[in-house]
Amino acid sequence: MAVIRDVMPAFELLQPGSAADAQRLLEQNGEAAWVMAGGMDSFDWLKDRIKKPRVLVDLSGVDELRGVRVTSDGVEIGAMTTLTEIANHAEIKKNYGVLAEAVSLVASPQIRNQGTLGGNVSQDVRCWYYRGGWPCYRAGGNICYADTPVGRNREHAIFGGDRCIAVHPSDSVPALIALDAKFVVQSAKGERVIDAEDFYIGPQDDITHINILKPGDLLTAIRIPATFAGARFYFEKVRDRNVWDFPLMNVASAMKLSGNNIDQIRIAVNAVSPRPMRLKNVEDAVRGKPATPETGEMAGKLAIEGAKPLQFNAYKIPLMRNLVKRSITGVREATWTS
Amino acid sequence: MPEMDDPRQSEGAQRKVTRRQFILGVIAGGAVVSAASYRLLAPGHGRLSSANWSERLISINVNGKARRVEAMKQETLAWTLRYKLGLTGTKLGCDRAECGACTVLLDDVPHYSCSVLTHTVRNKKVTTIEGLAAADGKLHPVQQAVVDQQGFQCAFCMSGFIMATVGYLKQNPNPTRAELAHGISGNLCRCQDYSKILDSMMRGAEYTRNGFPAERRA
Amino acid sequence: MADLDPVGAAKAEAEKPRPFGTGYKLIGKDYSTNDLVAKVTGRSKYAEDFRAEGMLFCRLVLSPMPHARVKRINAEKALAMPGVRGILTPDEVPGHADYVNDNGTRIRADRWGELALADEPMYQGEPILAVAAVDELTCAEAIERIEIEMEPLPFATDPLESLRPGSANAREDGNVWVQEGRQEPQLAVLKWTNEDFAAEKEGKLPMGHAPEEWSFGDVDAGFKNAALVLDETFLTPDVSHQCLEPRTTMARWENGKLFLYTGTQSTMQTVPAIARWMHMDEDKIVFISEYTGGGFGSKITGALTLVIPALLSRKLNAPVMMRVSREEEHFIGRARPGIRARTKVGFAKDGRVTAVDMFLVSDAGSYGSNGDGGACGQITSLLYQPPAMRWRNVTVATNTPPRSAQSAPGGMQAIAIMEPILAKAARQLGVDQVALRRVNCPEGKAEFGPPNHEGQRGHATSCFLKQALDLGAEQFKWNERVARRPRQMGTKVRGVGVSLSTFHGGSSGFDGLIVITPEGRVQIQSGVGNLGTEALIDVHRAAAEVLDVPWEVCDIVWGDTSKHLPYTCHSGGSQTIHAMTRAGHAVGLECVQRLKEVAAKKLGGQPDDYVIANQRVARKGGGAGLSFAEAAQQAIRLGGIYDGHDVNPEVNKVTKTSVAALAGQGLVASARDNYSHEGDSFSFLACFAEVEADVETGKYYITDYLAYADVGTVIHPAALGGQVLGRSTLGIGHAIGQKWVIDPQYGVTVAERFYQNRPPTILDVPVDMKWNALNIPDPETPVGARGCGEPPVGGGCAAILNALADALGDNIFQRAPVNADTILTSYEAGRPMQNPLLAHI
Repeated sequence: MAVIRDVMPAFELLQPGSAADAQRLLEQNGEAAWVMAGGMDSFDWLKDRIKKPRVLVDLSGVDELRGVRVTSDGVEIGAMTTLTEIANHAEIKKNYGVLAEAVSLVASPQIRNQGTLGGNVSQDVRCWYYRGGWPCYRAGGNICYADTPVGRNREHAIFGGDRCIAVHPSDSVPALIALDAKFVVQSAKGERVIDAEDFYIGPQDDITHINILKPGDLLTAIRIPATFAGARFYFEKVRDRNVWDFPLMNVASAMKLSGNNIDQIRIAVNAVSPRPMRLKNVEDAVRGKPATPETGEMAGKLAIEGAKPLQFNAYKIPLMRNLVKRSITGVREATWTS
Repeated sequence: MPEMDDPRQSEGAQRKVTRRQFILGVIAGGAVVSAASYRLLAPGHGRLSSANWSERLISINVNGKARRVEAMKQETLAWTLRYKLGLTGTKLGCDRAECGACTVLLDDVPHYSCSVLTHTVRNKKVTTIEGLAAADGKLHPVQQAVVDQQGFQCAFCMSGFIMATVGYLKQNPNPTRAELAHGISGNLCRCQDYSKILDSMMRGAEYTRNGFPAERRA
Repeated sequence: MADLDPVGAAKAEAEKPRPFGTGYKLIGKDYSTNDLVAKVTGRSKYAEDFRAEGMLFCRLVLSPMPHARVKRINAEKALAMPGVRGILTPDEVPGHADYVNDNGTRIRADRWGELALADEPMYQGEPILAVAAVDELTCAEAIERIEIEMEPLPFATDPLESLRPGSANAREDGNVWVQEGRQEPQLAVLKWTNEDFAAEKEGKLPMGHAPEEWSFGDVDAGFKNAALVLDETFLTPDVSHQCLEPRTTMARWENGKLFLYTGTQSTMQTVPAIARWMHMDEDKIVFISEYTGGGFGSKITGALTLVIPALLSRKLNAPVMMRVSREEEHFIGRARPGIRARTKVGFAKDGRVTAVDMFLVSDAGSYGSNGDGGACGQITSLLYQPPAMRWRNVTVATNTPPRSAQSAPGGMQAIAIMEPILAKAARQLGVDQVALRRVNCPEGKAEFGPPNHEGQRGHATSCFLKQALDLGAEQFKWNERVARRPRQMGTKVRGVGVSLSTFHGGSSGFDGLIVITPEGRVQIQSGVGNLGTEALIDVHRAAAEVLDVPWEVCDIVWGDTSKHLPYTCHSGGSQTIHAMTRAGHAVGLECVQRLKEVAAKKLGGQPDDYVIANQRVARKGGGAGLSFAEAAQQAIRLGGIYDGHDVNPEVNKVTKTSVAALAGQGLVASARDNYSHEGDSFSFLACFAEVEADVETGKYYITDYLAYADVGTVIHPAALGGQVLGRSTLGIGHAIGQKWVIDPQYGVTVAERFYQNRPPTILDVPVDMKWNALNIPDPETPVGARGCGEPPVGGGCAAILNALADALGDNIFQRAPVNADTILTSYEAGRPMQNPLLAHI
């Protein structure tokens, strides 16, 4: 069978008007259905003709999944809310700025105009072997092409590799983990609410799935509790090009202080591991300590304990150390005037 | 040996071929080099889909007119515009949402038309480069600014850039040069004429706010 | 100086910068080119915008392997599908044949040459089969029903690895290209010894036998007398052209004629290429190319793959559109060859270069040799004027996508290789960077390259780079920036860089063709391709200037060879502005002469009694005259040489054919550029950049950029600015991120997409880049203008590299591009940590 790309395969297009209808259609079609939100990840799989679903369930007509609602305890963001809308939303900018900043750094303006939060958190990994259609472990095969003596792995994992060393590419997820967000999933059995970091699956548990969604499941909303509303936040994304590129690494933190002492803190990094990584050990180590450069240094060093570099990604270790440090101390803006 | 053996492992290792492990081209045995697996696609459900090609007649609003068009379920808006409606001003540079040449406005918001299914825009207002100039041929202020400033080189990216600018100026009519650069950053120019494009688009913003000199209308 | 001699004074005046447009009515003035309104309204038609009744689509099947033999193709199931019309296989593509070039020289068939479809693909991604059907979905589903059996063959993707003892060759009959004398390069086997490779342990490029070598001056003495000698290894990246318009082509046949629609840089020069590839006569080809979405050297005469729809269309008796996808474009769209260099440079105390010893390993890719290694040596010898230099080069064939000229081929690499060495030397010698460039700067009729067999070295037509360097340093506030403190604030550090830059700037000997119509319009026939530089239109300002007509009466005819266009240069190598303003000037004068003759014949007197003004030819000092319209009508009455029934014997046969076709339509004038020039034309720039880097993340931004150009007379300021900054940014892309990534175990490209191979975005360059130009006319060409499509590329790249080294130190990079990974690991370690010998990481 010869290979051809860039022609989407034909599929049945289902366009439900409500979340209940959408969920029912997903249930009915099971494995044969592909869920499409903004489509920014889906179109690649389809145009590469690697995925050929029989049925595509397009959520773009489900208005109830759109929009940001201020609740008694924080905000609830419909899964189909666009990244642009989140980046510009007054309440999110005011109280959950780490998320507004994270989504404003995703890809490009047009992608943010169409890409949704539900899609961004559910996107697949971008390992170029896997996305290129190579039959690697994650694709159900029995080899990793990136983890060989000459494999090209500049953008791959330094933590959590287990046969697969692809990294999770989302910019929004670390911010959501830092905010202790909850993901709301509807299925025939009812609603489940899952902590952001528990939404993801590492290769040691299920190498062919990136998250817990099963056929028939529909991610409907993301709830952000008020726990860290207005807290001190830090977000930084390091990438090669300043548009379009996935992160070489990103970091998000949310921190509540008493005086200069850290009372509550959550830190997450992405693009270091197949799963978005919450740094619980670092959080535990810095809680109660002052938010000083010393604490930041300590946090950075602790964060990279156990990191395993591959041939081309050793830079990720100092990068992670420094980003975690900055997630506690911030970074001084340089202000040359001439 | 149709398996995708890891070439580093022993030649004799027998492996079960799973359904996903399809081979592209049959790779002959006994070759000089290891017959490694080349682009062995995991073909998903592995089926051919000829059964579902049917086109469906729908109506979409393009440049202020209701247009009836037969569109396949998997057809992108860029394809419909270019091949069904003859609106070839919208260009396909990558077809993968990473160049912006196909940018059109949906309800005044810039989108990559290569990454929008035609069937999803039935309730939206589509604006393309052909819809910018007035019926009497008078150019849109942003178009006129490009002409006055000699903006762009090969211009394959131009209609996408103009649409992105027109969309962005609706949100921010009086941008700084840096803000405008961010606003139209989802468009790639391979002639790398970014400086002159920004000159043109800043002038376009000014013309949009204040009108453009009458003597240039001719 | 009271006693300044008049000749000296005139020379000093001639070598002074002047405001754009000085002394001209059109030249040097901004205007809107004639193609712009069509572009902004979406009416401009690129290849994929053409349609024809009954048009089929075709799609390609690409080789999944880097080197293989197609053993069997079974397309039965595909051909049985409804809507599938046919396939095209490699054996249906015309093979290599001898041909005769423009100069009448017979060129032997290249047995290693590329064909549009391969039965022995030489790289992963090479087209091996095409399928035509009623639509693309049918094509795709048909292709997935085709069985292809392939026998894998040995392959090599890394040129250095291919020189290792016992390694695989890219081709069964060799791995390096060897050129002897003026013969076409031949393939040979070259392996270095293990001893040769010993240097790689120290991170230095090994230097085994190099088949190509030249030298001049006393290199050993140059090093012996040097105050400082540096020996540096550096790798430049393979970078795809990535024209935004892929090489999509539509073809149809009508009455035995092929009508072909595709992008090209050179409308008229593409016809002979099509004829050669199709084994057809040129007069059976109509080539339509009104707009081209970028070329950068990859579409000089269109693209070889254009024969696929042409052949399928003939075979299936229907128009065929071959839409090329971005992924396919990555493979067939050409790239700049990466070069690995080891360069030893000696410096005197003041920074003057005393000797250069340059050793290069160039990657030729899968088809043909290339001139990048050679140009690398030539440009180095010109730009830094070493008194002694040795150049050695190995051009290695690999199983990677084909390379071709890319803006400043070889020149860009030379500057990227040399400039960081100059920057390092300036720091070690305590010499200011601008001052060090100044002492090495070429000037006037600067010499370059090795002596020819008569012991003569070539020289430039003119060079005023020193003035550009000084004025640029002033405009950039170089001294202030260098003196600024602190250099570091928090984790951010700033650095400034300067680079010299040059590349070829023009050829000569082509034709101009003008029709003055009976309505009095000046219709200028343009055979230049419309690739976006606007040279297509700008060059004709020269003819209009000579005819003293307002631009509004000029019409430019272009983009369709059935419209009778003249013999025109290839639009590549930055030739066009130089070559075609010369031709424009010549035909302008020819036109003036014919107008005067027509007037004299009609109104009496001698031609020289008449002058041209206000779209009239009239007797000097007032009196009788003819409007251009009347003169054109009179020319038609006169016939012969005046209306094209006879033709100027000096012009090329292509122009003669066009003149004959236009005969009787007005006053038809054609002329050949016979102006002499002693030197070779080069354009020059001084490029300046500032960067701000974060030492904790390795992330950096370019905060400022200025390019100051010495390109002769400025023809169209806005278009020139676009070239200067556009091609600067093309070079900057090589410094900041563009590259290929290939897995050497499988010989397969893994970075096919823009987000993986990273062409620069609008946010990767300063928001307000600056340019300027001296506007000093070149003394060896009538209008004084030279090309500038390529000269900025190397300077753009190297100014950034030098600014980075200024900010972060000399121990950061030994290869480009430089990214966060390069910076972080090296900054931590205090020495360059990224291997400069490994390709495609």
